[in-house]
Amino acid sequence: MLGGLGTVGATAMLTGCQHFDKAIVGGEGWIPKQYQRSKYWPAQVRGRIPIHPESVSIDRNDEKCILCGQCIEACRGVQSVFKHYELPIVDDVICVDCGQCIMWCPTKSITEKSSINQVMEALEDPNKFVVVQTAPATRVALGEEFGLPPGTWVQGQQVAALKELGFDRVFDTSFGADLTIMEESKEFYKIVTGVYDRHLPLFTSCCPAWVKFCEYYYPDLVHHISSCGSPMQMVGATVKTYYAKLNNIDPEQIYTVAIMPCTAKKAEAKRLEMNASGRYWGNEEIRDADAVLTVRELAQMMKSAGIDVTALPEKDYDPILGKSSGGGLIFGATGGVMEACMRTAYYWFTKQDLPDEMLDFKPVRGLKGIKEASVEIPGVGTIRVAVVHGLGNTRVLLDAMRRGEKTGYHMIEVMACPGGCIGGGGQPRSALPPNDKLRQERIEKLYKKDALMKLRRSHKNPEIKALYENFYEKPGSKLAYKLLHPVYPEGRKPRTDNINITV
Amino acid sequence: MAHKWKAPENSKAILVDITKCIGCDACTVACKMWNDIEFKEIRRFHAEDREKIKLDAYHWTSISLHKVEKDGKIVWRYAKHQCLHCDIPACAVACFATALKKYPNGPVVFYPNLCVGCRYCMLACPFDKVKYEWYKTFPWIAKCHMCPTRIAEGKAPACMGVCPTNVMTLGDKDEILALARKTIENDDKYVKHIYGEKEVGGTAWLYISDVPFEKLGFRTDVPTKPMTYYSYGFQKYTKPAMVGWGMLLTALYLYTKRREKIAKEEKK
Repeated sequence: MLGGLGTVGATAMLTGCQHFDKAIVGGEGWIPKQYQRSKYWPAQVRGRIPIHPESVSIDRNDEKCILCGQCIEACRGVQSVFKHYELPIVDDVICVDCGQCIMWCPTKSITEKSSINQVMEALEDPNKFVVVQTAPATRVALGEEFGLPPGTWVQGQQVAALKELGFDRVFDTSFGADLTIMEESKEFYKIVTGVYDRHLPLFTSCCPAWVKFCEYYYPDLVHHISSCGSPMQMVGATVKTYYAKLNNIDPEQIYTVAIMPCTAKKAEAKRLEMNASGRYWGNEEIRDADAVLTVRELAQMMKSAGIDVTALPEKDYDPILGKSSGGGLIFGATGGVMEACMRTAYYWFTKQDLPDEMLDFKPVRGLKGIKEASVEIPGVGTIRVAVVHGLGNTRVLLDAMRRGEKTGYHMIEVMACPGGCIGGGGQPRSALPPNDKLRQERIEKLYKKDALMKLRRSHKNPEIKALYENFYEKPGSKLAYKLLHPVYPEGRKPRTDNINITV
Repeated sequence: MAHKWKAPENSKAILVDITKCIGCDACTVACKMWNDIEFKEIRRFHAEDREKIKLDAYHWTSISLHKVEKDGKIVWRYAKHQCLHCDIPACAVACFATALKKYPNGPVVFYPNLCVGCRYCMLACPFDKVKYEWYKTFPWIAKCHMCPTRIAEGKAPACMGVCPTNVMTLGDKDEILALARKTIENDDKYVKHIYGEKEVGGTAWLYISDVPFEKLGFRTDVPTKPMTYYSYGFQKYTKPAMVGWGMLLTALYLYTKRREKIAKEEKK
């Protein structure tokens, strides 16, 4: 009998019971062990940037941090945020949520704060009507997460993937971009013609990182920023009012998700001011955008659901808020907002469409840090515009304007990330650190698609026209102001405390 | 009361300027990397919890956030905590196994091989900076040792080397004290107090701040004389008592043994 027991024991040992340790039941996660030995102290350690532990946009895993200082490179060098403030700090961790540090972090210690769980919960909830919108820049980058070359056009596949994931409606943020253009160009027109008593230049307001940057560093220029909300906010507010009314859906049951190339959008969605639809319905709890996913998070969701973007058929966006013009599409690239805005502003000034040969507004395209251009508008004269991308360049331009070296602009487009949204902090980490070659490939694709489109002017978009006819009446109407222009409190501050944390 | 311990002459000292800290926690990570401390738990805090951050065996240094009222406004201040490396360290005085040593150039270093695990040092530390590896079967104490190998090479400790805002300054103690005095005298915002200059007879880590130290989690009720000044009177008997007790018992043993032997012989 004892011999039998001994045999059983020996067999158990040899067949693998001896290997039953924690390595089999789950690893300990990826840790850069090579740096956790003092003799392997990295050759260069330079510290890191502060990240608020409660930040709604950016998260950091200390275990992976190797203190290489790349985040400092991005935050201080590229974006001119870190250390561009006086010490001691007052009552905030100064961060514009742009997420460029994520793009530079070699160990992926810094990531976006994940919203996947909230979105999954909403998708599983049968009482929720989950609506999703996708930003213009996502469709030229999502493919990179699935091994496609940079700049691959996956608009239709992205829509198909989202439908497969279970979203009830898939709308286009480019439609929101067209709506923004209608509002913003009208605002610009009214300022230039003197209807509004406001000073030029007019800054664009689509980029929440830029808005926060301005609130931090140039609070005296805040009233120069366009009062329009961002395309994401506009789509969210329109879905929860117009679309809800049209389809008899309780706005409290609608859950709006936005797929963005951006981490700052996560913070923007949580800003207290972003509940125009809530104020419309008299329920402040309703927010314009409930959750924001970066392109990386979407890819993660798709991969865990076994959806491969390369193997999907192309599908179209859902109607009413799904059609966009070329103008809305090029929002994803630096200079795009300005180009689209000029196409429509020309119409407001002259009551005629911009001639086709003038549609390509070449001087605002490309990756030059600060781009200047002028447009001749008959009857108005020369409109001088500037386009900057990257907050470091923005600081250079604004400081030059302060010194009186660069003046006389009518309108200035600012995008916080180098290259515009296509280089945003929520995009796939295809190049480390991100380089101009990658940005150029994504930008070129957007402009190519715009050139191929028949519909290139935002005010010609039939769905935009219908929306104004049926709901907003006209650009700049009272209702449009109520829903599409967020109201900021007097002396607005970019404070972290200001963010209503609902996680 | 006199005591035999002497502060090292002109050791190294580090000045921490609290006003410059932005709370990036790079020093915490650097400390773990250099000293090979395990990442047992990822500390993710809510702002409120951060005020309660304490050192433990996994965190030889840590940063706590304090919301302090200053000129009628709430401001945030970050305070770096670690062993202060007293000039006359109470822990080293208390350790009868001499497992804690004060180096002439500043650091108070722990020698695990000598430790017997009595934890007297933890009780002795006036700042409660000595921590214990509670989770281990054979635990040691854990505390910052000021990277003595780096200090000996003239380099800054790991935490200081990675600070992106140069919160800390390393130098000879008299120079560092002069710098601290100059800084707080020339700038009105600073509290006119150098924490660590006089506390328990002086420490190798000195702090200056623009908000009172008691609001940053620092103990301000410690005496200005070294702790051993108060305890040396009885502590000096520890070793004689230990040796004496042993000698007494040995003598008793030998005496009884001999008596038994004689008694046995007499019986015969």
